[in-house]
Amino acid sequence: MADDTIKLTVDGQEIEAKPGQTIIQAAQDADIYIPYLCYFPGMKPYGACRMCVVSTEAGGRKGVQASCTTPVMADMIVETSSEEVVELRRGITDLLMSEHPHGCLTCHRAELCGPQDICQRHVAVTDRCTICPKNERCELKDTVRFMKLDLTSSLDYHRRDLPIHTDDPFYDRDYNLCIVCVRCVRACDEVRGDSALSMVSRSGVALVGTSHGTSLLESGCEFCGACIDACPTGALVERDYKWEKASTKVKTVCTNCPVGCEFVMDINDINKVVRMTGDLSGEASHGQACFKGKFGYDYPNHVRRLKYPMVRVDGELQRTTWEVALEAASQGLLQHLPEERGVILSPRGTNEDHYVGQKFARTVLGTNNVDTGLNRSAELLAALAAAPGHGAATNPIWGIENSKCVLVVAGNPTEEQNVLAVPVKKAVRAGANLIVIDPRETELTRYATNWLRPRPGTEITLLGGLARVILDEALEDKDFVRDRLDGVDEFKKAIWSFDLMRVSQITGVSEDEIRSAARAYGNGSPASLLHGTDGIVAGDHADLLAAVMNLALMTGNIGCAGGGVYPLYSGANTQGGNDVGAAPNLLPGYRSVSSNSDRDVISSSVGGTYPQRPGKSVRDMVAGDGIKALIVLADGWNPDVAGMTTNGLVNPGFMVVSDAFMSDTASRADVVFPAATYAEVSGTITNLERRVQKVNPGLELRHEEREGWRTLADLANVMGGSGFGYETSSEVFEEIRKVVPDYAGLTHARIEGRGIQSPARDETSNGTGILFSSEERLSVVPMAIREPVSLPNREYPFTLGHGRVLLRPEEDVQVVRDERSMNYIERDTLIEIHPEDAADLDVSEGDRVAINAQQDSSASPLPDFGYVRLSSPHRGFVSVTTLFAEVVTGIQDSGDIDISPSVKGLPLRHVSLAKAPILREAGMAAD
Amino acid sequence: MSDGITSASDESPSSDELRDRSRKALQSQRQPTVTVLSSLLAVQDDLHYIPDEAIEETATHVKSTINDVWSVASFYTNFRFTPPGDHTIDVCWGPSCHLNGAQDVMNRIHSELGITEEGETADGKLTLRYSTCLGACALAPVIAVDHHMKGRISPDSAAAVVGKLKDAQ
Repeated sequence: MADDTIKLTVDGQEIEAKPGQTIIQAAQDADIYIPYLCYFPGMKPYGACRMCVVSTEAGGRKGVQASCTTPVMADMIVETSSEEVVELRRGITDLLMSEHPHGCLTCHRAELCGPQDICQRHVAVTDRCTICPKNERCELKDTVRFMKLDLTSSLDYHRRDLPIHTDDPFYDRDYNLCIVCVRCVRACDEVRGDSALSMVSRSGVALVGTSHGTSLLESGCEFCGACIDACPTGALVERDYKWEKASTKVKTVCTNCPVGCEFVMDINDINKVVRMTGDLSGEASHGQACFKGKFGYDYPNHVRRLKYPMVRVDGELQRTTWEVALEAASQGLLQHLPEERGVILSPRGTNEDHYVGQKFARTVLGTNNVDTGLNRSAELLAALAAAPGHGAATNPIWGIENSKCVLVVAGNPTEEQNVLAVPVKKAVRAGANLIVIDPRETELTRYATNWLRPRPGTEITLLGGLARVILDEALEDKDFVRDRLDGVDEFKKAIWSFDLMRVSQITGVSEDEIRSAARAYGNGSPASLLHGTDGIVAGDHADLLAAVMNLALMTGNIGCAGGGVYPLYSGANTQGGNDVGAAPNLLPGYRSVSSNSDRDVISSSVGGTYPQRPGKSVRDMVAGDGIKALIVLADGWNPDVAGMTTNGLVNPGFMVVSDAFMSDTASRADVVFPAATYAEVSGTITNLERRVQKVNPGLELRHEEREGWRTLADLANVMGGSGFGYETSSEVFEEIRKVVPDYAGLTHARIEGRGIQSPARDETSNGTGILFSSEERLSVVPMAIREPVSLPNREYPFTLGHGRVLLRPEEDVQVVRDERSMNYIERDTLIEIHPEDAADLDVSEGDRVAINAQQDSSASPLPDFGYVRLSSPHRGFVSVTTLFAEVVTGIQDSGDIDISPSVKGLPLRHVSLAKAPILREAGMAAD
Repeated sequence: MSDGITSASDESPSSDELRDRSRKALQSQRQPTVTVLSSLLAVQDDLHYIPDEAIEETATHVKSTINDVWSVASFYTNFRFTPPGDHTIDVCWGPSCHLNGAQDVMNRIHSELGITEEGETADGKLTLRYSTCLGACALAPVIAVDHHMKGRISPDSAAAVVGKLKDAQ
């Protein structure tokens, strides 16, 4: 509508702007450049640097305004380079230059000198342009050069002489180069909600810093790198590849978790990936990242990459050719019966890998034993496919920003699906209620308005209690219930058994807390609901999902913007694997393997014979359940950390592994194929909001590595399979389109750049942001109250909830600085114990207890000792909370090449406790 | 000092004590709006300085982060982060006092205390602060001892005041 635009004149050119835009935004949209430093897309107007001043005339008033803070007005006349503003900007630049080394900015020779040349102007070696890590990619330089300063100025400046912080993980901070634009502080505060950085002090000496100048480890940093991406100078940079320049930049997608953050990948001139920068135009991540994606990207460069195929000869893996290796793999597999064979696909695999993997397993190996490596709960998948009809989040990730209430059950998105927690925190900042149901303390509990800590394993009953209150107090969405829902009467009848007193007894959460949370959720429309499976036993996943869906449906939070249900699962492309049929019970397009007609649809469309008997899940295959020959695409998969094994995957008789490194799994294989990594493949992955995204290759394959789909197709061809003659991944995708109706409208070309959310059933479709937004009918299912099952464990009588947060101000934390090594943390751990348990153990507040845990290789390490706090809500339940910084330093110490698969989770643990003598004074560093 | 907590000569309080005192000070705020600033003031009123523990407790109390609290605390010159001496002498160097000889008073106090800048004496018992204006220009030059004003001070009378404070130790 014409009313929605504002017309203004910028430099004599009439442009149109949207109401609420600032002058600089309107000008940028019209391709008019106004120099700026503190402005950053996605952040609120700030007006710190005044570089963007323009002269304006509106409503008869003339003046000079910062264009980043001044909204557009009708008929405004803006001059971006009048003599007046140019003069002002020069003054501002001069002031900036008075405290910033500027040999690189204002020297007329900057473009002429090479890195090895002797400086013609005798600038101190520490100030030279080539010393700055942002040399040639500095935003300040672009801005200053635009100013056309006098390039023969003297190059002296006031150096702050501050020490450079080089002892924190991943980051270097040099505040001698800071121009105090405050972008980093705003990124940390406004965008991420962490405030791990702040402005310190005042006036001329005001600078960015942390409380008391501490290390980032104890300032509450989550090492997401948002500040680095925002920094216009060399003040904040990634330590690795610090001085490397990009010779090419490639848009791609991170393959470490199911958020699927979009990145720009910097490739240098010797074919190495040297940097990952969040892509601000990314639809899934809005330019945000986490430590795994931002800093865990460089394993493709590693010298220990597998380069050639290998086969085991006389007990030793020896280099060979692809032909020999494929033949060996083929021979080995053929020695076993179809149902004894299995295929485990990489959680990082593309849809193309997964599709070819399932086709290979079914039509060549003759088995449905195919699954993706982190598809931890086949039951959850089955329930998702059955109940809501789709196994993914119903709404887009950033829709959570508009929620009035967010409920998080049994999940820790801050660690596992990091960027998903960003819109949650944003919603809370905007006034939404956050309800966290988790016995552990997670980062989100800090922001929670209601933190319910049920006895572990009683989450489902608690959700039923919430539903009961919602019905009792008539908080349900009556129109939605009447028009859209089936099974309401049975559901209501069943929910009648959830007597609140009984629910409170079972869960250990007070009735008032349950009521308060139910009211917050029931009244907080639209409300989103994030559910994980942490601490929920596998057999209960379907019930959990039903409880979650019931709650969302009764309150009408399905099919509306800002509402929805978000399952939190692991594995970057678990969603895509399910979509394309890389699951033991599903064919492509969520067709059932046991249905004759479904199998016919697939085989008539793409050929091949599809077996009927449902296959084994990854968990069963790993457990060796009748499996004698395995093919494992192991890139990014660690069965120990996934909680499936405790001592690596056992070779069941014959094993073929494709991996990027000689991992534990690969070292036990009979045939090893070198795998291409995310940085070298072309393909698609599907994130948790169903966005099908394009992964693009930035690196050329250096040796004989092959993509997952190519490896499997080559093997299929050797084994006599038909229909595996793919040349490129887009050919594979063309075939996927034919059999996965939700992908029918997608092509590699269409999803390039921004991705499209499936279902997109024809080529005119721009995808489906919100599922169930039309008038289709949905069902609620009856649920029953569950008495808690406690399995007495004599050796380890306590259940321990291991929480993790960014910051615990009330605990003593010491960062140890050692000149020769990096910072690390030493601290006393508090352990929360129920007063009655404490009495049984003969310990009281402040006493020291030894924590002895059952071995669990999937779990983050626990401290050996803790100081007692009598605050556990339940008998038999104890909890400790460790710091995120400990994970980060742990990664750094571990020396793992590929960090993401080695980051361990926080499952519930069984522990025993014993009173221990206090060795040192309380407040001293822990053991 | 009566509460004994800021005396450098006494055993300095433990981290737990400081945390406790800070927490009590924070909870003692009766005004309807509790902010970072009001919280820091409450702590400084009680402890006469802001220990690390108070920054942490304030962050928890107002649901902020230690960095944001530090950002506020470091902005205001009036907040101090180390324990002051048993007694504090404020010397005004506002324009009126300056014209009436504050510099001479200041020099004398420096030499009496054996220091050349603001801060604590070597034994940590006395604190000297420069004040931009104590608001009593009619009595210039002015100093204040533990917030009690003394007007029309001369270098000699200032030395006497300092002497008395030293003797009282």
